[in-house]
Amino acid sequence: MQACQTFREKGNLQSLGPVDEHNLIDRVRAGDSRAERELYDVHVGRVYRLAFRMVGDDDLARDFTQETFIRAFERLDGFRGEAALSTWLHSIATSVVLNGLRKVKRFRTRETGLEEAGELPGISRQSDPDLKYKMERAIDALPEKYRLVFVMHDVEGYTHEEIAAAMGTETGTSKAQLSRARAKLRDSLAEFAGAWEA
Amino acid sequence: MTESEDRFVEFLHQEARAYNQPPASVPRDAMWTAIAAERRRRAAKHAQQRIQLRWVVGIAAVLVLGVAIGRLTAPVVPAGPAVVDNTPAEAGDDMMYRTAAREYFGRAEAVLTMFRADARQGRPDGGASEVARELLSTNRLLLGSPAADDPRMKELLEDLELVLLQMAQLSAEQGTDPAQFILQALENNSVLLRLRNATPSTLAPVSIQGAL
Repeated sequence: MQACQTFREKGNLQSLGPVDEHNLIDRVRAGDSRAERELYDVHVGRVYRLAFRMVGDDDLARDFTQETFIRAFERLDGFRGEAALSTWLHSIATSVVLNGLRKVKRFRTRETGLEEAGELPGISRQSDPDLKYKMERAIDALPEKYRLVFVMHDVEGYTHEEIAAAMGTETGTSKAQLSRARAKLRDSLAEFAGAWEA
Repeated sequence: MTESEDRFVEFLHQEARAYNQPPASVPRDAMWTAIAAERRRRAAKHAQQRIQLRWVVGIAAVLVLGVAIGRLTAPVVPAGPAVVDNTPAEAGDDMMYRTAAREYFGRAEAVLTMFRADARQGRPDGGASEVARELLSTNRLLLGSPAADDPRMKELLEDLELVLLQMAQLSAEQGTDPAQFILQALENNSVLLRLRNATPSTLAPVSIQGAL
């Protein structure tokens, strides 16, 4: 429990060093339930954020996050340590999210009125509400894999190496998909070109 | 990238930050509780399935072995006019099928007794359908085996098949009515009583260790 608190106090955003991670995995494999919670605490924040970014719904984000960790614990014996645990976890997370989105077969409707957009958290008061709404619609309309790459890279700050590892592709593929995603967004947001054109 | 593209990327980074903005606080404790509960549930389900699968595989193995022995020891029919072979099956082959049938009837009796108790108390059991499907496959194997040469056994297996088919289609959402219907079928056809009396009294106990 003390170790859990230590991890929590650190904000759980710090990656474990290779040795610490290896030790933690060994303890989990040995059946140490506190080690399981430690592992979870280190990685849950980033997994949950990614799930939420993709589905925009707390219930679904929790479901996908939970399923990610359930599968991770089931399969931990098969983790060979060739990549970082976070990379492995995110490959499970992206698979869970993409498959889950296909099953859900719906996407949240943008019912928020334009007049409410300025009241939502994280929105700059300088942002045009119409732009915010159009931006959301444009990102929603991206093909799922493009949207995933865009969200991971441009919104959540993953590197192309991390994205490629999570999606089981090459770094070049991640870059190409991001480029296509941005091109589609540029077309969708053409009416706002004045914001970035000289 | 051109300067315009650089500015567009910067614009995207700025404006897309709010896209599906996650809450500031991650509900880690609530999710951990849910994860732990679901892991326990799946572990219990897997354990039960392993037990049931071992049983089904064991009975199936006995039956397949019996069929193989029967084929190997079947008398060769010489060329020429067809000869009806009235030689009774070897005692060992017959014993194999009867043993498998006895084990199966014991299992079926236990499952149906529990089902009847639940149905009488108005507790629809969604798990019964899964067990019924497993019993059904063994029931059909026995119907296709020499065990069904006995007309009484064949009739019992056919009645069991009907009951198990109905149980296999049960779901918890259907409520208690279908279960009551099956309960009535059990009682009208005296299936449980016939199951208990189906053990061949002339058969000596046979150890089938390894098959189960």
